[in-house]
Amino acid sequence: MKRAQHSHFIMQVTSTDEKISKQKHRLQRKNTLIAYSFIAPNFLGFFIFTLIPVVFSFVLAFMSWDSFSTPKFVGLDNFSKMIHDTTFWISFKNTFLYTIGVVPFTLLISLGLAILLNKKLAGVKFFRTAFFFPYVTSLVAIAVVWNMLFHPTMGPINQFLRMFIANPPGWTTSSQWALTAIVIVSIWRFMGYYMILYLAGLQSIPKELYEAASMDGANKWQQFKNVTLPSLRPTTFFVTIMLVINCFKIFDLVQVMTDGGPGRATNVLVYEIYNEAFVKFNFGYASAIAFVLFVIVLGVTIIQFGWNKRQEKA
Amino acid sequence: MKVWQKVLATAAVAGVALSLGACGNGSDKDSSADKSGSKKTVLKVTTWNYATTPEFAALFKAFEKEHPNVDVQQVDVPADDYDTKVTTMMSSGDTTDILTMKNLLSYSNYALRDQLVDLSSHVKDIDQGPAADTYKMYKVKGKTYAQPYRTDFWVLYYNKKLFDAAGIDYPDNWTWDDYVTNAKKLTDASKGQYGTYQHIWRSTIQAIAAAQNDKNLMDPSSYEFMKPYYERALDLQKSKAQMTYGTAKSTKVTYNSQFEESKAAMLYMGTWFMGGLVNDTNSGQTNVEWSIAPMPQKSSNGKTTTFGSPTGFAINKNSKNKKIAQEFLDFCSGEKGAKVMAKIGITPSYRNDAVNKIYFATKGMPTDDVAKKAFNPDKIAVEFPVAKDGPAVDKILQEEHDLIMVGDETPSKAISNMQSRVKEELK
Repeated sequence: MKRAQHSHFIMQVTSTDEKISKQKHRLQRKNTLIAYSFIAPNFLGFFIFTLIPVVFSFVLAFMSWDSFSTPKFVGLDNFSKMIHDTTFWISFKNTFLYTIGVVPFTLLISLGLAILLNKKLAGVKFFRTAFFFPYVTSLVAIAVVWNMLFHPTMGPINQFLRMFIANPPGWTTSSQWALTAIVIVSIWRFMGYYMILYLAGLQSIPKELYEAASMDGANKWQQFKNVTLPSLRPTTFFVTIMLVINCFKIFDLVQVMTDGGPGRATNVLVYEIYNEAFVKFNFGYASAIAFVLFVIVLGVTIIQFGWNKRQEKA
Repeated sequence: MKVWQKVLATAAVAGVALSLGACGNGSDKDSSADKSGSKKTVLKVTTWNYATTPEFAALFKAFEKEHPNVDVQQVDVPADDYDTKVTTMMSSGDTTDILTMKNLLSYSNYALRDQLVDLSSHVKDIDQGPAADTYKMYKVKGKTYAQPYRTDFWVLYYNKKLFDAAGIDYPDNWTWDDYVTNAKKLTDASKGQYGTYQHIWRSTIQAIAAAQNDKNLMDPSSYEFMKPYYERALDLQKSKAQMTYGTAKSTKVTYNSQFEESKAAMLYMGTWFMGGLVNDTNSGQTNVEWSIAPMPQKSSNGKTTTFGSPTGFAINKNSKNKKIAQEFLDFCSGEKGAKVMAKIGITPSYRNDAVNKIYFATKGMPTDDVAKKAFNPDKIAVEFPVAKDGPAVDKILQEEHDLIMVGDETPSKAISNMQSRVKEELK
C-alpha cells in the first residue's frame, strides 16, 4: 500500500517535472524566436548586402567577368596573371609602405595626446574636441585643404621648409613624396579617434595602482612603464588591429588627393581593385586581388592575436 | 530545427518577400495617360545633369512636338557617376529605351559587350550629310551602334583684351611654334597672368599629337610622335607661360575659371566651352571678350586638323519601344535636331550652312571669319579609338602623362614606358 502510494507519488512528480520541462522548453523556444526576430532585420541586411556579395566575390576570383556577359570559369588564371602584373606589385608595395608609415606614428601620437589630455587642465575638453575634429571632417574638404598646404611652391609647408632647405619636396606632385604626403594626412586624420580610445583606456586604470606605485617610490617614468603601459595593453591591441586593417583598406584619401598618381606612385591595393573592376571591367581579376587583400589582412590579424596571447601569458 | 536551418529559412522567406515586392514595383509603365485620356508611349532616355545640360530638354521638347503621342522622359544621373550607373543598369537588364553615349570609351564597352542594338543597316540608308565623319567614329568592327547628335572638337580660345594689351595680332593659321612664342609674350608674372592654360587631361597632348600625325593611340609600336608636343608643354611650364601641371592638378583648377577670369590669355579646349562661355556671359559670371581660332598646327599649310569626339544616342537591346526610339535617334542626329541644338550653343554633328548660321547668330557668339573657319576644321580625328582594351590603355597613357608633366620622367623615358606597358596590356 505504502509502496503503491510511493510509486504513485513518484509518477506524479515525474509528470509535473515533465510538464515543467516542457513549459521550460516552450518558453526557451519562444525566447529564442523573439531573440531571432530582433536579430533578423540586421542579419537580413548583413546577409543580402554583405554575406552574399562576399561569397559571390570569392567565387568571381576564379572567373573572368566583365559585368555583362556570363562569367567564365578560368581556374587560377587571375592569380597567375597577378604574379606578372607590375601594377599589382606596385600597389602591393605602396600599401605595405603606407601601413608601415601610418601604424607606429599614429599609435605613438595618439597615446601621447591621450596622456597629455588626461590631466585636469583648463580647456582640456576644447583640446580633446579639437584633436578629434579631423576624424569627423569631410574627406573631400580635408583633401582640398591639404593639397593646398602641400602645394610645392605656394604651400605654407614648403614656404616654412624653405627657411631650412633650398629644395623642399614636391609632395603630391612628386612620385617620390606623394605617398609620404598621404601618410602624413592619414596620421593627422586618424590620431584623434585613437586618442579617444586611449583616453578611455587611461581612465579605466584604477588610481590605487598609481598610489601604490608612488608609495613604493616609483617615479613618473617607472609608473608609466610599469603601470600605464601594461594596463593599456588591451587598448593597444585593439587600436593596432583596427589601425592595420584600416591601413590596408586605404582608398578614399588616395582617390581624392592624388588619384593614385603621379604615375602609379600612390596606387594602393583597394585603388587597384577599383580600377580593375570599374575602369577596366575586369571584375574577376579585381575579385582575385580583393581575395589576396583579405588573406593578407586575415594573416596579419592572426599574427597579432597570437602575439597578444603570448604577451598575456608573460 | 537547428539554428542554421532557422536562419536559412528566415532568409529564404525574406528573399521571396523581397523579390515579390520587387515584382510589384517592377511592372514597367510603358505608357502614361495624358489629360485627354489617350495613351502616350513613354520613351525613357538616360541623361546626366539634366537641369544644367540644356540640349536634353530642348531635344525632348522638340521631338514631342513632332510626335504628340510620345512622352520622352529622362532617367537622370549625376555626370560623375554616369558611366558607373549606366553600366550597373545594363548588367542588371534595365529596359531604359535610349542610352546616351557620353564618351567613346563607355560606348565601346557597351557596344563590344553586346548591350546595344546594331544600327549598321539603318545608318547606311539615312542622310548622314555633314555628320558622316562623326558616324565613322562610331564604327566598331565594321558595325555601328549609335547615332551622333553632337560632335565637340578642339579649338583655341583667346582673350581679345589681353591680346590687344600685349599688342599681338589675333591668332590665325598658327603653328605650334607661333603658339609657344606668343604664349610667352602674353605672360605677365607681375599680374599673375599666364600666356595660356593647358588642362590636365592627357588628350591635350596625346590626342592632338595623334590627330596631327595621323596615328592611332591604341598602337604601341611608337609613341615618339608625342615628343615635340611634350617638349613644348614643358618649355611653357618652365618659362612660367602656363600654370604647372602639379599646381593645376593638386589644387583642382578648373579651365573655365582660368579663362573667364582672364588668368590665362589662351586656352585650347573643346567646343562645348563656347556654349558655356555664352551662358556665363549672359548670366553675368564673366565679362571676358573672347573668340576662337583653329588649333595650332604642325606646319602652316592652311589645313586645320584637330580632334574631337561624338556624343550620341544608342538603343538598349532590352528596349520595348525600339521603333520610336529609332525615330528619336534620327530626329536628334539629323538636321532638325541640329538646329535645335545650334540655337542653344551646342555643337551638333550635323553642321551645314543653315545650322552654322543659327549657331553663330546666338547672342554672345563670336562673329569673325577666323572663328567660323575654326568651327569648320578640315579634319576632326577621333580623340580615342573604340577598342575593348581602351580603358586599360587610357589609364596607362594618363599615368605616364602625369609623370612627364610633373617632371618625374623625361618624355623619352615615359614614351618608351608607354610603349612597353601598352604592349604588355594588349598581349
